Amino acid sequence: MTGKRLRVFALLAISLVFLLAWAFPVLWSVLNSLKTDRDALAYPPKLIFTPTWEAYHDVLFGSASILPNLVSSMVISVGTTVVTMLMAIPAAYALARLRFRGKKFAGFYVLATQMLPPVGIIIPYFLVLRNIGWIDTYQGIILIYLSFSLPFAIWLLVSYFEDIPFEMEEAAYLDGASRLRTLWRIIIPQVRGGIAVTVVFVFLNAWNEFLFAVVLSGNTVRPVTVAMFNFVSVEQTLWAKLAAVSVLAMLPVVVLGVVAQKHIVKGLTVGAVKGGGRR
Amino acid sequence: MSGRGQVQFRDIVKMHGDFAALKDVSFEIKPGEFFALLGPSGSGKSTTLRILAGLDAPTSGRVFIDGKDVTSTDARDRDIAMVFQSYALYPHMTVAENISFPLEMANMPKAEISAAVKDAARKVRIDHLLDRKPGQLSGGQQQRCALARAIVRKARLFLLDEPLSNLDAKLRLETRAELKKLQRSLDVTAVYVTHDQEEAMTLADRMAVFMAGEIQQVGTPAEVFARPNSIEIAGFIGNPPMNLVPARYSNGDVIIAGHRFKTIMQASGERDVVAGIRPGALRVAPSGLSARVELVEDLGDTAVLDLDCAGTLIRVRVSDENVPREGDTISITARAQDIHLFDPTTGKRL
Repeated sequence: MTGKRLRVFALLAISLVFLLAWAFPVLWSVLNSLKTDRDALAYPPKLIFTPTWEAYHDVLFGSASILPNLVSSMVISVGTTVVTMLMAIPAAYALARLRFRGKKFAGFYVLATQMLPPVGIIIPYFLVLRNIGWIDTYQGIILIYLSFSLPFAIWLLVSYFEDIPFEMEEAAYLDGASRLRTLWRIIIPQVRGGIAVTVVFVFLNAWNEFLFAVVLSGNTVRPVTVAMFNFVSVEQTLWAKLAAVSVLAMLPVVVLGVVAQKHIVKGLTVGAVKGGGRR
Repeated sequence: MSGRGQVQFRDIVKMHGDFAALKDVSFEIKPGEFFALLGPSGSGKSTTLRILAGLDAPTSGRVFIDGKDVTSTDARDRDIAMVFQSYALYPHMTVAENISFPLEMANMPKAEISAAVKDAARKVRIDHLLDRKPGQLSGGQQQRCALARAIVRKARLFLLDEPLSNLDAKLRLETRAELKKLQRSLDVTAVYVTHDQEEAMTLADRMAVFMAGEIQQVGTPAEVFARPNSIEIAGFIGNPPMNLVPARYSNGDVIIAGHRFKTIMQASGERDVVAGIRPGALRVAPSGLSARVELVEDLGDTAVLDLDCAGTLIRVRVSDENVPREGDTISITARAQDIHLFDPTTGKRL
């Protein structure tokens, strides 16, 4: 065995260890979701059992169906993502391009909002929402999520916009394009990789959020992360059902991840290579 | 000559804070002319082009195109096409889409666009590459694509910002010749920014030479070469550059390193001057200014000699035959009309 092959082999082995560590909880959830509650509680854990769709059937079509909660999560996540992107794209473009007073401060402010520990502002948020009567409403939750996703999205997108040479825009103006048309036809197509990455991150954050959802929503609005908590009670934890809901809640995330995988990898390495963030 | 594309700059000043990038620049470009803005980097030539394009606004002064004041007109409403130094091709569009973009913006019907794109691409010989993306083209092909995008619209002014500087030497010479032919066949006014005096000399009908934010001379390449009106221009135009040596003027003669040369000046009296003689205007002769050959640079058909004339370095270009050897002592002369005299304090031509 040559040194090179040995090194490849070692790298593969290390990757496998990490992969297992990551995959274990997921695999465990999938396994548990296919067990009966009794099998799920068995100790030592049963690796060989008769798989059943019972848990799935219960959580989807039983008395405590999570279908409305999945819809709730979808409304919140899509709503948050759409509003975030509609506001973040022009804001990031402005931050990247225009020179105005206080630009540096604005950039810092955007980042500073990311430094607050969420739990520290949950009470003020609660009071604000209660005063405007938006507790347990979609617009209320989306508004709160915006306060986190918007600065993050702007900060992420600015670097993509900055990557585009100014001459490109000037060429478009001379070709007869207006500023808005230049943004739409020339700039945005070139940052679509960054936009894809940002959409994925914003969607995931909204989809997986639990803390604000559990405090600021409740009956009308009840995302799946909060509903999932129903299966954990003082007396018992319904492991099979909990696992089934987890797997169901994971599905949209996995689908989105697979679809956007190419862009995410590129997005994470942006700036590593000159021009690597574009095209 | 087409009647379009006449440009007039009137008293243009451009300040960047306290720094004057352009100090009172005025000139005129005639319709159909190939006009070069020549100067070293930082001399203001690119700023001038950007002000003409409408990408920068002057601090004061007016810009006129075809007699109309366009100083405050948006770039996109000026009917100007430009080739950028970086080409600024749109990387997410194919070559065809790049070329058609200006026509789309002008709301031209689809059928006409496709014909115009093919026509423009054929003119710069990239009609076989229309489906490629810019990233799949070589540097020369990218440059042609940028040219096609600029000519497709038949704008009244065609601006080129150092368009050849990113090409390798051989390609640059080929493209230079094609560019000139293209401009003639399109009969369009072209404004060309370059720091390469050879490009300006070969391409331009007329040129403006920029130094430190000012135009020092406007004229045909031949005029500027034959009668540079300052020491700076004399040293900038021509390769190898003109010999500029301190000398003494005395009643129609000029004394360089102890030797008297005849000049065409008639004025009597004596004064210090800077004498300028092009390396190609000096001749090896049986008598004249005595000099020692320090270095011989053989360029094939000609050779450039570095001469030591009593401590003053003078360069001479000689033809292939009779190239002296290093260490030889020779004599050189120059005709009176080939000796340029400049004021050593103002730098202006006398």
